[in-house]
This record gives sequence, C-alpha cells and structure tokens, in this order.
Amino acid sequence: MEVLGIWIAAFLTLCIFSFLYRDNPFYRFAEHLFIGLSVGYSIVVTIHQGFIPLAWEPLSEGVNALQSELTSEGTPETKEALSGLFKIIPIGIGLLFFARLSPRHTWLIRYPIAILIGFTAGAAIPNVLQASIFEQTYGTLTPFAAMHAGSLSTGDIVGAILITIGLICTLVYFFFSVEHQGPVGWLSKVGIAFLMIGFGAAFGNTVMGRVALLIHRVGFLINDWLGSIF
Amino acid sequence: MKRQVPLALCFLFGIVMILTQFSPHSYSQGVYREVINWNLIINPFALILAVATLIQTHMTRIQRRTEHWQYSLVVFLGMAVMVLIGIPLGPQNSYVEWLYNNLQVPMDATMFSLLAFFIASAAYRAFRARTFEATLLLITALIVMMGNVPVGDLIWNSVLSWLPMEDGASKVRQWILDIPNLASRRGIILGVSLGVISQSIRIILGIERSYLGGGD
Amino acid sequence: MFEKLMNIDRRIIFVLVAVVVIIPTLIPIRLPTRVAEPTQKLYDYIDELPPGSTIIMAFDYGPSSLAEPEPMAKAVLQHCFNKDVRVIGITLYANMPTLADKLMQKIATENGAVYGEDYTFLGYRPGALQVILGMGTNIAGVFETDYHGTAIAEIPMMENITNYDQIDLLLDLAAGSSTEAWIIYANTRYNLKIAAGVTGVIIAQMYPYLQTNQLVGFMPGYLGATEYEKLLNAPGDGTIGLNTASFVHLLIIGLVALGNIAFFIQRRREE
Repeated sequence: MEVLGIWIAAFLTLCIFSFLYRDNPFYRFAEHLFIGLSVGYSIVVTIHQGFIPLAWEPLSEGVNALQSELTSEGTPETKEALSGLFKIIPIGIGLLFFARLSPRHTWLIRYPIAILIGFTAGAAIPNVLQASIFEQTYGTLTPFAAMHAGSLSTGDIVGAILITIGLICTLVYFFFSVEHQGPVGWLSKVGIAFLMIGFGAAFGNTVMGRVALLIHRVGFLINDWLGSIF
Repeated sequence: MKRQVPLALCFLFGIVMILTQFSPHSYSQGVYREVINWNLIINPFALILAVATLIQTHMTRIQRRTEHWQYSLVVFLGMAVMVLIGIPLGPQNSYVEWLYNNLQVPMDATMFSLLAFFIASAAYRAFRARTFEATLLLITALIVMMGNVPVGDLIWNSVLSWLPMEDGASKVRQWILDIPNLASRRGIILGVSLGVISQSIRIILGIERSYLGGGD
Repeated sequence: MFEKLMNIDRRIIFVLVAVVVIIPTLIPIRLPTRVAEPTQKLYDYIDELPPGSTIIMAFDYGPSSLAEPEPMAKAVLQHCFNKDVRVIGITLYANMPTLADKLMQKIATENGAVYGEDYTFLGYRPGALQVILGMGTNIAGVFETDYHGTAIAEIPMMENITNYDQIDLLLDLAAGSSTEAWIIYANTRYNLKIAAGVTGVIIAQMYPYLQTNQLVGFMPGYLGATEYEKLLNAPGDGTIGLNTASFVHLLIIGLVALGNIAFFIQRRREE
C-alpha cells in the first residue's frame, strides 16, 4: 500500500510537471482531481473538526440532559449540559447559509454574514489600532529616546533616522490628498525608493520560497520514488 | 427585514466586541465569551457557500458542454470519493489519510512548485533595469538573493576579500531588511491599518453595505 | 543574436532550473552559514524557558507551502522535547491537520516524547479570528477534545492550562497572514508572546513587528530553518535544501544579468 502510494504520488507529481512543456490532458486531469479532493477533504475536516465538536455534540448533550431532567434523573452535570440547548440559536443562524441554494430565499444568508462581519469589524477596531498603529509608531520613536539617553551605537542612530525618513516618505507617497509637486513630490520620490527596496527584498525572499517548493518535490521524486526503485 | 435586520445585527455584534474589550466586568466578559462562541458555531456553515459555488460552476460547465467539461466530472469524482469515505470514517481514518498523503499533498505541493520555474523565466524576461526605481528594485533583489544562500558569503569572501567586511552578502541583506525594508513595510502597515479601521467603522455604522449584496 | 537570446524558449530556462536542482539533490554539498538575529532571538527564548514550560505551535500552512515550515517545525520540536518544554499543536488551516499530526508524532517518536505528557495535537477549528480570541478566554471552550477525540480534561499536560495565561510562547509557522492575526489578536488582546517561522513570501513584512518586540523572534524561510538547525547542531532538511537552493539562486542571478546585458546592448544598437 505504501509503495503504491509513492507511485501514485510520483505519477501525479509528473502529471503536474508536464504543464511545463505545455497544457495537456494529464495536467488537466491532475489539476481537477486535486480541486475535488482538496474541497472534499476540507468538507470532511470542517464537519469533523467544526460542526460536530462545536455544534452537534453540545446540542445533543443538551437534549440528553433535558430528557434526564424531565425524567427527574437530573444531576449538576446535566444542568450544566442544558446550556448546550442555547446553541440551537447560532446553529439556526448558521443553517441560514443553506438559503444560498434557493434563489427566492438567498437574502437570508445576510443574517449570518452580517454577524460574522460585525464581529470581525468590532474585534479589529481596538486591536488593529493598538497593534498596528500605536505599537508601530511607538517602535519608530523609541530609538530616539535611547539616542537621547546615549545608549545607541552610531550604526543604530543612522538606522533609526533612516527608518523615520523612510516611513515619513512612504506615507507621503500614499497621501493622495495633496498633489505630489515641489517638496511633497521630492518626499514622495524618496518614498518610492524605499518602497522599491522593500519590494526588491520581498522578491529576493520570494525566490527562496518558490525554489524551496521545487527542491521539496524534486527531493520526493529522487529520494522517495526513485530511491524505492534503485 | 431583508436589509435592516442584518444591518442591526452587524452593528450589535460590532459594538459588543468593541465595548467588551474595555470592560473587565464579569457580565461583560460573559457576553464576550458568548459572542465568540456564537461566531465559532456560525463560521463552519460558511463552507456551504464555497461548496455550493464550486458545485454550481462545474454543473454549469457539464450542462453547457463547455470546452474540457469532462474534467468537471473529475472534480466531482475526487470530491465524492473523499466525502463518501471521510464523512462516515473521519479524517483520522487510514484510507482518508492515504488519499490525503498520496494524492492531495503531492499535487498541492507540486502545483505551487511550478512557480519556481516561472519566477526564473520571468526574472530573465522582465526583470530589467529600465528606470532608476526598477534598478533599485533589481539590485536589492539580487543582494537579498545572494544573502539568503550560503554561497553568497562564499563568493563575497573570495571575490571581495579586500573589503574590510567578512560575510558581507548576508550582512548587507540583513541591513536592507532591518532598515529600508522595515521603513517601507511600516508605512504599508500604517496605511493598511488605517484603511481596516475606517472600513470597520463604516461597516458597523451601516455606511458600507456591499456585503449585503444586490437586491432588496 | 541578442534578440534571439532575449526571446529564448522558456522551456530552455525550465530545463536549466531542473538541472541545477537535480544535480545538488543527487550530490549534496554543505556550505557554512551564519545565524542572523531573528532566528537567534527565537532560539534563545526557547532555550531559556524552564523545563515544564508550555508553548503552542500553530501549523498555519498547507501542503502547498510545506517545504519551508516543515524543517522549522522539526527543529523547534526537537529543541523543545530536549529541553522538556511541552508543545500544544493546533492549526488554523483546514487542509493541514493530518500533516501536522503525523509530523508531531514522528519527531516525538525520534526524541522519546510521550503524547499527552510532552505534546498534544488539538487539531483544527474553523474561523481563525474566533479561534484566536476564543482560546484566550478558554482553550477547552474551543478545543473540547484533541484531534483524536480525547477530552482535554483527560490529557495530563493540559491539567493546569486554561487559557493563554499559562502559555509561554506561541510559535506560528505561517504561509499567509496568520502571524499578523496572532500578533493583533493574541499578543495585543491577551499579552501572549508570539514568534514565527514564515515562508519566503512573507519574510519582509515581519521585520516591523520584530523591531517593536511584538515578535519575540522568527525564522525566515529555508534560511531560518537552516540557522535553527545550526544552533541545534543538527543539520536537517533546511540545511540540505538551502545548499541546493544556492545553485538555483546563482542561476537566476545569472539569468537576470544575462537578460539585462542583452537588453542594454540591444537598446544601445537601437539608439
């Protein structure tokens, strides 16, 4: 079974690599099989790791507890399990997603979507403000306090000044309410230079990432597949 | 009912999440926990949207006999096999794991490894020092690439051995990432975060309603 | 000639890329590496944790990007097991639980770690934001059982763990925006210490968070995995991979140089 698995994995790997020559039926077969399998796996995992533990089990425990309470066999544990019955409300709201399947009732999916979006927006406002605005601004200014206290090396001082200049100029570049002419234009040009360095660094790192993916697959073909033959 | 209730729900959940962040009172924290629990339960159902859209897309392809429609059958085959075995037996079952390890993982990993070839080809064809900005981007990328791999320092130490800096490729790379890259990234973070906050406020206040879609 | 060079069939470039990956894979080499600050900080933080500490390892990547985070996970797990630091595994990616579960089992077996005492894998729950915020109030409220269905209350190492207050570090092995989510919602909201191991694509955006100490440390891609392996003195997949990557990098740098030389010569001729 293990050897068969390696051969199938190798065959499908080669099917996908065949796209490098040109689009062909082997590639298209593997591509579509992959989509089907990965969606299927996501459904399986979401049901077993999402629906069942978060919704079904607490609800069924609640129903069982209610039956015990009604037959006067209730214990403190069953009283606690009764709270699972309240999960019927979010489950009901979640089930509204099925309204997507009926054109007349599609509007009902707005209810769960509105709750999820409101929750996300509400969580984002204070936390993004703190983590990404205040902390990042603080991080830019802190080195100047250390500079004032005389605890920074020359290299660190130059670095702190460059970061501040770069940050201001990058922000100026993104500030479209003022025409980018004169001093604003110059600052914006410096901002572009910093952005280009940032994108260049990202490209350089992305090359490493993509190459890593290829090395991993070639390693599989040579070590696991060919290694099992020779 | 069709628009006002969702807008009210969005406002309610958004405001509750903001207020409970600042109130340590046990009632407030109880509400906070309950809101998270509700959202934990609602969230998995969103999968229905994704699956329904995928099924509809491929059903349409089959019905209209569009080019390569036969491959949509392969999508359904893959999905059916995984779902029919996986739902009753669970993802820990050995058959599901076998399908996952020997079919899904290799294809997923290989699909993205193709990008290594395309990034090499694109670098050769399109990565040109046409302007000052493009040159800056190109030089930075080359330095970071050299600094990322051990051979970079090896070349630096042999070719540029007259310079008073050893392992210069990795050191210059580190400086680029630590200073100019950090500055530009921070600018982007600040810009994006301000956008996220303003958009979140618009959503909670019902000014931004695109998530409701069209219709009544 | 230069026009011909610039319009070379892309498949020739593909063959060159394949050759420079296949040859070093068949004949591996080892070149010396330096350890940079981000990885050193993470290593030091874990190394200084007292025995019995607990970290969460979030496997927030998928099969499409496992080449880089997997060697990182192996190295850090090995370090933790040798230091008696307990590890709780979770994932925010639906297509990841099987891989993460098997990986933890493999490294634990190699290092004599016991399931339930030295490590546990809680699995996956849908909704990243809900999971991150929910675990901050009560881990058992989100993961009532582990991945294999054992109740959290019956797992010995989870006995005194309620929420992030008892967690010493969260290491996010990321291929997307999950690290930022952990920073924004777990670090800011609950003061949980965050570290990361990220794929090449997102390395550059981690530096602002490192400077503000919102990140304790991080491993940048293959390089980070190699650095961590060097610190452990246990070369593994990261070291092998990065040395192979050297040749592909040289090829791409050469191609860029060649493309630009051809471009400039042609432009001068046209002028």
